[in-house]
Amino acid sequence: MKARRRPRIASVFTGIVLAALYVPIGLVVVNSFNADERLASWGGATLRWWGETMSDSRVLDDLRLSLVVAVATTVLSVTLALADALWWRSASPRARRLLDGVVFARIVLPEIVLALGLFLGAEQFDIPLGTATIVIGQAVFCSAYATVLIQARLSTMGNGLEDAAADLGAPPGRVLRGVTLPVLAPSVLAAALMVLTFSLDDVVVAQFLGGTEAETLPVLLLGKIRLTVSPEVNAIGTALMLVTALPIIGLLVSGKLPVPGRRSQKAERSPR
Amino acid sequence: MTQGLRRPADRWRRLLLVPSLTFTTLFFIAPLTLLVALSFGTVDLLSYRTYLGWHPSNYLRALDPLYLQSILRSLAMSLSSTLACLIIGFPVALTLSRLSGKRQRVLLAAVIVPLWTGFVVRTYAVVEMLADHGPLADVLGVLGLAPDGLSLLHTPAAVVIGMVYAYLPLMVLPLFVALERIDPSQLLAASDLGAGPWSRLRRVEIPLAAPGILAGCLLVSIPMLGEYVVPTVLGGGKTLMYGNVIAYQFQEVGDYPLGSALAVMMTTLVTVGLVVGRQVSARAGRTS
Repeated sequence: MKARRRPRIASVFTGIVLAALYVPIGLVVVNSFNADERLASWGGATLRWWGETMSDSRVLDDLRLSLVVAVATTVLSVTLALADALWWRSASPRARRLLDGVVFARIVLPEIVLALGLFLGAEQFDIPLGTATIVIGQAVFCSAYATVLIQARLSTMGNGLEDAAADLGAPPGRVLRGVTLPVLAPSVLAAALMVLTFSLDDVVVAQFLGGTEAETLPVLLLGKIRLTVSPEVNAIGTALMLVTALPIIGLLVSGKLPVPGRRSQKAERSPR
Repeated sequence: MTQGLRRPADRWRRLLLVPSLTFTTLFFIAPLTLLVALSFGTVDLLSYRTYLGWHPSNYLRALDPLYLQSILRSLAMSLSSTLACLIIGFPVALTLSRLSGKRQRVLLAAVIVPLWTGFVVRTYAVVEMLADHGPLADVLGVLGLAPDGLSLLHTPAAVVIGMVYAYLPLMVLPLFVALERIDPSQLLAASDLGAGPWSRLRRVEIPLAAPGILAGCLLVSIPMLGEYVVPTVLGGGKTLMYGNVIAYQFQEVGDYPLGSALAVMMTTLVTVGLVVGRQVSARAGRTS
């Protein structure tokens, strides 16, 4: 039984905070249907802005590019992370620590520093900026997050199943395909969905490594909101919100959303 | 035979390191090395050509009051935003940790979901809230608090509000995990020994949640220090933070060596912050 006497003030405060989290987002959605052009007050409902957004070729092009970049970043990041995690398992403790350190560094390095470093590199070696450079830049930190997720699963699975398969005469390739990868599948899926979200949400790398040609939807939105508050921007924002939420909706539907707390903490603790 | 070669499969496993070793070297270590190298270089601002060299002058220029001021302001804004996140996030995490079952899962999801609505959109949502004649101005106007409309947008306060709004869920999560792990019997024991809710909070829950508090503070303050989007949007170009100052050197001025020196300094600051955080957490772990 949990402590029954929970302080009232904290509960009320929590309600207020949750409302404060959702009111601004809700306002963006509502205002995308607002007929008042200056958004000073509610001017009646209209689908005009959505119509304009959906027929704006720049928005559609950027949306397509965002999706292409997200898929490419996900494939690249998950491949790198999977190889890393499988290697990590058979590595010596010292090599493991080194890999852990590099993964950690890729996560904590300020994104702006990474983006500008890559920008300099591209400039120095005359590599044209564009879709490929965005994908590479995003994969640097996305693959690190993916590695952490897949590693967490690997460190809890033990060697028993694979040893059994090997003892029964399965060649290494068969063990990998038949035992290791199926066990890892949920964590690979979770990692892929997380990378998709991060990529769709990314603006710093996309802004500095996209050059003049490649523009993703968040970069377009960032450019627009610097200039003006308008119902059309709200419609683009709502569309972006839906796109960014797609992976998490998929995660919720598949029931794979890990709830941080006592249980999952224990399960994810590595045996070191 | 070493442990690592126990199974025949382990021999080809070494090849698994090749893709990420190549990738990390080319696209992580090399760019950082380039930044460090260029931070000691010089630039000819007429032809925009950069020359490698060994000049500490960029670092001296980066410590010019003009830049130093914005670095210190960024530090102050990140720290105050972190503190605000902690003060707002702690009661939320405490409430969540004392719920159970489905209610807890739903409310926890409610805290996390905003993270998946997109960073730029959330920042824009704050712009709309804080606009001169926006909803917040209306509410305050009705209450007679801001009769002339709100002029909060494009001020440091707006940037702090935006950062707190954007990062609050990230603060609540580690706090929740830490508070959730506290054994209820310890709370009961405190109550049985006559501790009221406040004294229990101060003497049991906060000390036991210390690692979570530290983790949450690091998790939000580090990205805040390098924040680019929030000050760009809510600062309106006036309240420049560290990240914007660096970007400005690259995008507008074209002074790559100075920008590189500023970026190297930012990375150093982040590293120092992490090392100090780790020390503090190690010490806290020893005493508790």
